[in-house]
Amino acid sequence: MKKLLLILTVLLTTYSSLSQVNKTVKSGEKFIYAASYNMSGLMTQLAQVTMQTETVKTSKNTLLHLSCQATTYSKWDSFFKIRDIYESYVNPITLRPSLYKRDIFEGKYTKKEKYIFKNDGKTIESTVNKKNMPESKKTFQVGGATQDVVSILYKLRTIDFSTFKPGQIKAFTVVFDQKEMAVGAKYMGKETISAGNLGKKVCYKISIGAKTQALRGTDKNIIWLTADESKVPALIKFSIPVGTGQLTLTNASGL
Amino acid sequence: MRKLFIVLAFIFAFIGIAFSILPLGTLALLPIGLALIFGLIAFLKSDAQQKNVPKWILIVAGVTLIIVIGKEILITDEVAKDEQFEQKKIESKKEDLKDLEGLE
Repeated sequence: MKKLLLILTVLLTTYSSLSQVNKTVKSGEKFIYAASYNMSGLMTQLAQVTMQTETVKTSKNTLLHLSCQATTYSKWDSFFKIRDIYESYVNPITLRPSLYKRDIFEGKYTKKEKYIFKNDGKTIESTVNKKNMPESKKTFQVGGATQDVVSILYKLRTIDFSTFKPGQIKAFTVVFDQKEMAVGAKYMGKETISAGNLGKKVCYKISIGAKTQALRGTDKNIIWLTADESKVPALIKFSIPVGTGQLTLTNASGL
Repeated sequence: MRKLFIVLAFIFAFIGIAFSILPLGTLALLPIGLALIFGLIAFLKSDAQQKNVPKWILIVAGVTLIIVIGKEILITDEVAKDEQFEQKKIESKKEDLKDLEGLE
């Protein structure tokens, strides 16, 4: 009986480790989205969001650079200019981050954040720069499996949702605003939606939940991933303190 | 009552024009729609000799509606080429590589 339990444990551990290996996210991917914001019940297109991946080589390592960039359409630039970049440098196999950066430029508001993951991802050295504020540095401990907000989006794509039942939740730990928080990805079933140049696609509907002020409501933050090998985020609906909006995929390349 | 509808129609038509000039997209349809509703009510409540003002409000709101729909259909949303932003990204990447080398 003990032997059987041991074999089962070894098998489960091996399966669990293998399932965390990234075979989905590739270098050279480029997803372009139209970001709309709900103004008085009407969705108004504000910005273009670009999610890109590329291989970056250092003297000893090869990393995957994940970036999410938000740029307001030119017609909005003179009223409210946005140039936001969220970046993460991750291990291409495990998608565990080494460096996370956030550079916010929204109208007159600016903020820069940099997290360096040290000690096998268990220690974070953070540097925060806000407009008219002195630079703030902080070192804090996190769990070894903690992701940043960019890499979690890509990590989600490595999950095999085909084995999930509606209501089943996959738990993650994410660090945001120098705080670690639990994030749950709840599988809600399948839906067919339009996925830009990819046409109509059957998608996994995933609800993202977290105990944070950054996200509002239950099942109001939803991501639709194409139910294929690429698991491309086709549509993202979000509810944040300042309102609701969505990112609609217009073009996906490099798959 | 007729005057109230004319005033409301005028205010919403004015807001509609302002929204159609600003890059607010379909949001402009909201005040334009209200201007058309109030304008139409005012038009129906007016005597034959008094229909001139609500008629012009309806024409202006209608033209604004066509402009907003036309802008939505014909003008595609584009992102401006921002050299300063591109340069910032290149410099940021150089800095990132230094940080990543320091990690090893």
